[in-house]
Amino acid sequence: MSTNTTTSTNGGGAMAGFNKLLVVIGRSVGGVVGTLYQAGRDSVDTIIRNILPFMAFIAVIVGIINKTGIGDALAHLIEPLAGSLPGLLAISVFCAIPVLSPLLGPGAVIAQIVGVLLGTRIGAGDIDPQYALPALFAINPQVGCDFIPVGLALGEAEPETVEIGVPAVLISRLITGPTAVVIAWLASFGLYSNA
Amino acid sequence: MPFTSMAAALAATAEPTVEDPGGIWGTLAGWAEAFIGTFQEGGNFFTALFTGILPTLLVLLTAVNALIRWIGHDKIDKLGEMAARPGIQYYPVRYLVLPVLSVFFLTNPMAYTMGRFLPEKYKPAFYDSAVSYVHPITGIFPHANPGELFVYLGIAAGITQLGLGLGDLALRYLFVGMIVILLRGIVTEFITLHMMGRRMNQSETEEAAA
Repeated sequence: MSTNTTTSTNGGGAMAGFNKLLVVIGRSVGGVVGTLYQAGRDSVDTIIRNILPFMAFIAVIVGIINKTGIGDALAHLIEPLAGSLPGLLAISVFCAIPVLSPLLGPGAVIAQIVGVLLGTRIGAGDIDPQYALPALFAINPQVGCDFIPVGLALGEAEPETVEIGVPAVLISRLITGPTAVVIAWLASFGLYSNA
Repeated sequence: MPFTSMAAALAATAEPTVEDPGGIWGTLAGWAEAFIGTFQEGGNFFTALFTGILPTLLVLLTAVNALIRWIGHDKIDKLGEMAARPGIQYYPVRYLVLPVLSVFFLTNPMAYTMGRFLPEKYKPAFYDSAVSYVHPITGIFPHANPGELFVYLGIAAGITQLGLGLGDLALRYLFVGMIVILLRGIVTEFITLHMMGRRMNQSETEEAAA
């Protein structure tokens, strides 16, 4: 380093350029590593705060459901519905009923439990895997219905907009919920079927 | 509790001639086994999730989080301003491009803050459209909504159990989700405008009456 500074008086242009390059490389590598490190820290944080608690919760529910036989009873209830288009439409209309949808919404807990239940039935071969796609939409027309005022407030909406927005979204779900199932059903042709 | 049941199991294997305890004690023992069995079942499920999902998820989350940091949140602000324009050609920007990018970059629930760029009459429809995308996106980009992964993962687990690949399902979920949010945005906007119009008429007639 000291030789660099002494020679910089005569051959200064090249050395200064080289130094600058070193600084740029050092800084950008540091930036990349720092960003990745911070991203990793965020991810671990997310997993500990959001994902692991839900896994524990789901594991308890699944344990109880599987051991007590509630699962089989529930599955027999859901199976005929989830294995056909009219049944899926019925589920989606039920979930989209404006009074029920905000109750079914919070944390998507109900959708997640039903999702796990349906998953086990698909795995057991009771429900055609092709129905996985429409089922994903059938169990979810209530998404975010509990959160409309907060969501609109995050978008800096006026109170009047919230007053109109809540019923507007809820009513819209009644139309778009079943429509989504039909679209998903149409899109599910050729999914997991060799025929 | 687990030790007693383990000891009982060991005793049973060592001396197969020992009869199960009968009477009240037998009933209680049966209950105890069912009780602990419930949580063992849950524990097995948890282990399967932990080893099956978490490692990939952690790496993926890290990569996407880093990507988002490099690109920066502020880049999509401009898009928000563009989406506010009226006209039919901006429908796909408002209810498809903007919600998808907001959910990807800002994730649930901060994605809804992008509504601030839109006029009041579009806000409910934008919210509807954005919130409807927080699940379809989790098939491929779980960072967007890590708290609600099991809507997709629950069903996907069944597909995996059958030995089928998930890529097809995840992609279709993503694309059907896009069609659905566009439709949802348009329908909700229509309903909102209709209701706002009616509210306006009402207040006018009330003023006229007063």
